Amino acid sequence: MLLVLMAANSGTAGEGPSDNLTEAERLKIAALEMLISAPPDRALPLVAGVLSDNHSDAVKSRALFILSQIELPEAQALLLETARNGSPELSKHAIRMIGVGGDMDALAGLAEIYGSGDGEVRKNVLQAYLIADRADAVYEVAVNASSEEEFAAAVRVLSAMGAASELRQLGERGVNSESLIHAYAIAGDFASLRKLALDASNPRMQLQAIQGLGIVGGDEVNSTLMEIYRGADRDEVRRASLHGLMVADHDEGVLELFRASQDAGEKRELLHLLVIMDSEVALDIIGATLQAEE
Amino acid sequence: MINEETLTFYYYGDGLTAGERHEVAAALREDAELAARYTRLEQQLEQWRQPDTHRAPALLVQRWHDGIDEAAGADRVTANDKTNTTPFHFLSFAWGSAAMAVLALAIGIGVYFSGDKTDVDGTNVDELLVSVPVIHEPDPFKRGLKLHLQESQRHLVSLPGEAAENRILLVMRIIDQNRMFERAAKRNNSPRLARVLRAFEPVLTRLATENISSNDAAALRAQLTFELNVVLTKLAEDTSDETHSISISI
Repeated sequence: MLLVLMAANSGTAGEGPSDNLTEAERLKIAALEMLISAPPDRALPLVAGVLSDNHSDAVKSRALFILSQIELPEAQALLLETARNGSPELSKHAIRMIGVGGDMDALAGLAEIYGSGDGEVRKNVLQAYLIADRADAVYEVAVNASSEEEFAAAVRVLSAMGAASELRQLGERGVNSESLIHAYAIAGDFASLRKLALDASNPRMQLQAIQGLGIVGGDEVNSTLMEIYRGADRDEVRRASLHGLMVADHDEGVLELFRASQDAGEKRELLHLLVIMDSEVALDIIGATLQAEE
Repeated sequence: MINEETLTFYYYGDGLTAGERHEVAAALREDAELAARYTRLEQQLEQWRQPDTHRAPALLVQRWHDGIDEAAGADRVTANDKTNTTPFHFLSFAWGSAAMAVLALAIGIGVYFSGDKTDVDGTNVDELLVSVPVIHEPDPFKRGLKLHLQESQRHLVSLPGEAAENRILLVMRIIDQNRMFERAAKRNNSPRLARVLRAFEPVLTRLATENISSNDAAALRAQLTFELNVVLTKLAEDTSDETHSISISI
């Protein structure tokens, strides 16, 4: 009762007529907010009562957040129970709150929910792993993925988490995927990209990796792209390495290739690239070319 | 090692001493990889820069800098007085957090003033100074975090009145600040806070959706506001507990 009176006299900052809540809901939400200050063993039964009673999802979702902040095994078990058996909307909130709570047992329980869930549920579970910073759990999803789409979703999450080690482990398992190459590029994983860029056994992956190197940038990348260009036995590899040089903004390298080239067609292509790169040397070369004797 | 935080301060031209700016400039000239990282950061931040941001009055700028100097001075005394066992560089954190707090405040005031030049010219400066929140918190990381959370609450309240483009910009700025504090929470051995801050992002991202209905936006804002309130209450209680413990031990 005291809690309700306190709630009646307090305002929840920012929640007002524009939040689509009834006055009764606002009062209950304000009361729930006060529970964060109560001892966990006192707060838990009150929160559990809200979840089992006939309250709106708006009120129950707030109760779930409070539950995520109660560091008792029973609280985390209740979150998992709601994630398994709640309405779709509440289940989604509960899954997210399991991520917020970070409880190992509750997080372990998400694996089963992932396995039996649809695309939306799986997305929510991956999000919970990201919130809880559980790269190992996302890695397991990637390893056991049954489709390229599912694998790509897990790889995107690993990439967002900056989980370079897990991404590399996926590559070492021999998994070939454009999403993985893209993740290497974003993570700046030069070593993994270089290995794929020099491997001609999978031409499509090789081209993606070469272009991905350009995103990483740096002196090692520049040297590798120059090496790949010079050793290329296919036009598409040459073009991919030039594209990589452009992305890496290595106009000095392109200039070096231009000067070394004895083929007019190749020289035209390299000069055109220098112009696209807005390189200062391009105009010098154009001037020299125009002044050269026939 | 020059981290993303330092590069961000360098970009905004605030939060670094002249010597530190000189060091960063030299490093950018010599280290191509660092320069590439800075270019990517610039491109990201440039998307969110408002072209017609009004400059704050010189008096306010001086008070902000005085606030940073005061915070740094207080933190140096505190750092000398007690054994610091936390695994992060305390002084750079104090500067970083104070500068972040000022940056968050500057963004909030910039948004508050945008489109209304008469306020920038000084007619309501005193009211603004009175409305600047006073955060009583000895820990610079938590002080910065509380300011960030309170500013986020204020921005959420103002969102319904904003055009879609401004709303998206504002939310993206909150997300950007949120990520910085999430990284800070990890470095500060606060995994619980880091998880909560990470959990805000999917909700904020949905709020930044161009075609979101007003009902959905209202529901998301209300949900976030509640969660922000709870976190702020918890932070205040943690501070109170620490203060109480310190009082008992003295």
